[in-house]
Amino acid sequence: MLDALHAVLVAPFRDMAGSPAFLVEVLIGGLFAGLMYSLVALGFVLIFKASGVFNFAQGVMVLFAALTLVGLLERGAPVLLALGLTTAVMVALAFAIERLVLRPLVNQEHIILFMATIGLNFFLEGFGEMLWGANVKKLDIGIPDRSFIVRGVQINELELTAAVTAAVLVAVLALFFQRTRIGRALRAVADDHEAALSLGIPLKTIWVVVWSVAGVVAIVAGLMWGAKSGVQFSLSLIALKALPVLILGGFESVAGAIVGGLIIGIGEKLGEVYWGPLVGGAIENWFAYVLALAFLLVRPQGLFGERIIERV
Amino acid sequence: MIYREAGQFKSSYAGDQAIFPVVQDRVFVAAAVAAAVVVPPLLASEYWLQAVLIPFLVYALAALGLNLLTGYAGQLSLGTGGFMAVGAYSAFKLATAFPRLNIIVVFLLAGVAAAAVGILFGLPSLRIKGFYLAVATLAAQFFLIWLFNKVAWFTNYASSGTITAPDRTLFGALITGPNSTPSARYLTALGLVAVFALAAKNLVRGRIGRSWMAIRDRDIAAEIIGVRPLRTKLLAFAISSYYCGVAGAGLVFLYLGSAETLAFDIGISFLVLFMVIIGGLGSILGSFLGAAFIVLVPIVLSNAPHAIGLRMPVALQKQFELMVFGGLIILFLIVEPRGLARLWQIAKEKLRLWPFPH
Amino acid sequence: MKGSAAAPPLLEVDRVSVRFGALIAVNRVSLSVARGEIVAIIGPNGAGKTTLLNAVSGFYRPYEGTIAFEGQDRTRLAPPDVAALGIARTFQNVALFKGMSVLDNIMTGRLLKMRGSFLLEALYWGPARRQELEHRAFVERIIDFLEIQAIRKTPAGRLPYGLQKRVELARALAAEPKLLLLDEPMAGMNVEEKEDMCRFILDVNQEFDTTIALIEHDMGVVMDVSDRVVVLDYGRKIADGPPAAVRKDAAVLDAYLGVAHDA
Ligand SMILES: Nc1ncnc2c1ncn2[C@@H]1O[C@H](COP(=O)(O)OP(=O)(O)O)[C@@H](O)[C@H]1O
Ligand SMILES: [Mg+2]
Repeated sequence: MLDALHAVLVAPFRDMAGSPAFLVEVLIGGLFAGLMYSLVALGFVLIFKASGVFNFAQGVMVLFAALTLVGLLERGAPVLLALGLTTAVMVALAFAIERLVLRPLVNQEHIILFMATIGLNFFLEGFGEMLWGANVKKLDIGIPDRSFIVRGVQINELELTAAVTAAVLVAVLALFFQRTRIGRALRAVADDHEAALSLGIPLKTIWVVVWSVAGVVAIVAGLMWGAKSGVQFSLSLIALKALPVLILGGFESVAGAIVGGLIIGIGEKLGEVYWGPLVGGAIENWFAYVLALAFLLVRPQGLFGERIIERV
Repeated sequence: MIYREAGQFKSSYAGDQAIFPVVQDRVFVAAAVAAAVVVPPLLASEYWLQAVLIPFLVYALAALGLNLLTGYAGQLSLGTGGFMAVGAYSAFKLATAFPRLNIIVVFLLAGVAAAAVGILFGLPSLRIKGFYLAVATLAAQFFLIWLFNKVAWFTNYASSGTITAPDRTLFGALITGPNSTPSARYLTALGLVAVFALAAKNLVRGRIGRSWMAIRDRDIAAEIIGVRPLRTKLLAFAISSYYCGVAGAGLVFLYLGSAETLAFDIGISFLVLFMVIIGGLGSILGSFLGAAFIVLVPIVLSNAPHAIGLRMPVALQKQFELMVFGGLIILFLIVEPRGLARLWQIAKEKLRLWPFPH
Repeated sequence: MKGSAAAPPLLEVDRVSVRFGALIAVNRVSLSVARGEIVAIIGPNGAGKTTLLNAVSGFYRPYEGTIAFEGQDRTRLAPPDVAALGIARTFQNVALFKGMSVLDNIMTGRLLKMRGSFLLEALYWGPARRQELEHRAFVERIIDFLEIQAIRKTPAGRLPYGLQKRVELARALAAEPKLLLLDEPMAGMNVEEKEDMCRFILDVNQEFDTTIALIEHDMGVVMDVSDRVVVLDYGRKIADGPPAAVRKDAAVLDAYLGVAHDA
């Protein structure tokens, strides 16, 4: 009994203290994974805020974007052109989704829209692979996957670039929401459709814009993850990992998505490395969910949500 | 004038409260059940029994279970696969540890195990709702599958990690295991599903079903009527998981014969959710229609190109199926978000007037 | 007044306050309802009327003060426990179970009168079946009483607003409550519907001997049906007495300036 307690409560921390450089590496690894979760969760949050749609297909959008990008690069397109074309594809996709899926389902219950995005998920998965093939592909965007060492800690250039890119993207999005008219409308529409309409921007446009923005976020996520581990089906599975992130951060908070993603990423890696061996490993599969669940029981409103008393 | 309720005056509340108040419905259901018992074992090929009818029944049972929870009690769950796994592994452990225990008893006890686990993972439903709850049920899904993968005891330390249904008999006939005939397994599944469907119908039209729907439709009003949310939701989780657990046992013992945890992964949770939504949330009949749809569509899709003389490479075929399947789901939701059961009802109303539309 | 002076009042609200953050929605309000009485609670929008009912129903925890029912302290009960005491209510924005038929809505109102185990019910056998039929018979009496026979099988969500309010009343009555709380039972109704509703309220009070506390804006209705009127304004009670007296009260006129005229 005491041994077990020791193994759970003491030994892992002793290991951490024993090799701080390794701990930092684990943390960085967690941070990188967390960043990816954040990006996917961000896509979710944008769409949820603006249209109340819980977009299950966000993960496949990441896969789809990455497949398109790789496909174009493989056919000899220069990086910038390929990025531009992929963006165009994602915007076109947003238009198509608005027209073919969202508009006919406007005013339906949330669960129906949610199910429709699961349908979308299947469709895009098949479509993407049909267009570009289903093999694992290396996405090479010219950033070397090599590491340098700072004070005994290995830092991967690619991961560093990813982190910086993600940070820039978030900053740009924040500016977009604060400073532009359509950005403000997007924020307004989350609270009140009427209010947004009174700004003179049709709901239709708003939807196309958020889905496009979510598509661009998906490109960045796909770019980074694909460069690191190759473009393959498992990319779409990080969508599921974004769900506990959303629980932590709240479905409507951009900041929550970012912070939640980092917490889940780091928590998961720490759990796997230091506690995983105790129960035979591979706890990464569920650790995030259980973490989020435990958290929910304490704070049902999420990290940044306000506690509201339901009106009767 | 085939389908008429005019002239059938219900002289008592007992008549009106009956499960199928309209005579034609009673006749129809009786005929359907009789046909289901007699026709397939005589006429259906092994392929039809094994690849269509048995999976249809097993999935219908799981869909019934999820429909009780999501369609009636309004608690969205993505943990169906996990609860099915609990049923399957419990049945396997029970059947191998107590070889003389009647196999039907094994199934029913496996359901109890699943119900207990369902209650455990239903506890958060007191504090969280909607999509948040759905994500919480994912914790059940991933944790349970991990558990069955990691702990070799559950598979009796099989090096392959698979569980295999042993040979077991009922009334002298072999109904599970590698040597059982598809007909025997089909009839067993049919019997289970028929009883469980009847029980589900009785539950949802009575006190319990009403308290579930009350919580689903307006939890605050339900509470002031005296519905205790936690107890009501946990009962829904328990009964729903029970159904799913028995379905999980059926999946291994009556359909697949042997399985690994992969058979219960997140994909099956979504599949059963589709059945429920396409069939009709809050409809017993819908659970069957949805299961039939989801079982048949891939079969049709994989045979369709061949039938019209098209030859596709396997990979392309798979992608094509995914696209059509996804597209169909969206199309369905657009055409009739309340599912196949609703379409059936509309058809019935049309029939009622036929051949005089006014 | 019908309540006798000796017995404790059915409901006794004593200096209750309810706060939402900094907002004090109900401020040290005291109120007692005697058995058999019809009490009207009036006041401008946002005065705290609904919040007061919610505190009595157990949805909100009073920040201070006590609520007693039949002489016992019941301040900290959850809504289902309040229901078990014999308090039923309707909501300002109709809270029917939209996916269920009218009949099922009202049957749900009988929930606390029903017993049983899920096994028996799964079989729909013996006691379960008998119980279901007994309650069905009772519910049919309410359906007749409120004249909603024709819509028995209609899904509640598809009914027009006025009928929804009536069904909600039926659902509350199905519980055979000792105290019935009605939050704006006539809001949004036309004159005819209002007359019907008035009649039902008076009949319920007389035939079933049900005590009623209702929130209402229409002064005419208030004068017609209530034995006593309580006036709230900005969370405080500013008047309490027979309708005729309250009507002349200067503070009430102040608070109601404008509102009373268009009512
Ligand atoms: N759940 C709640 N959270 C925050 N404020 C509330 C809540 N419910 C009511 N209020 C506030 O309390 C005050 C009284 O509301 P209410 O009781 O509904 O008024 P009335 O029914 O008299 O019109 C209002 O200012 C309202 O905004
Ligand atoms: Mg009010």
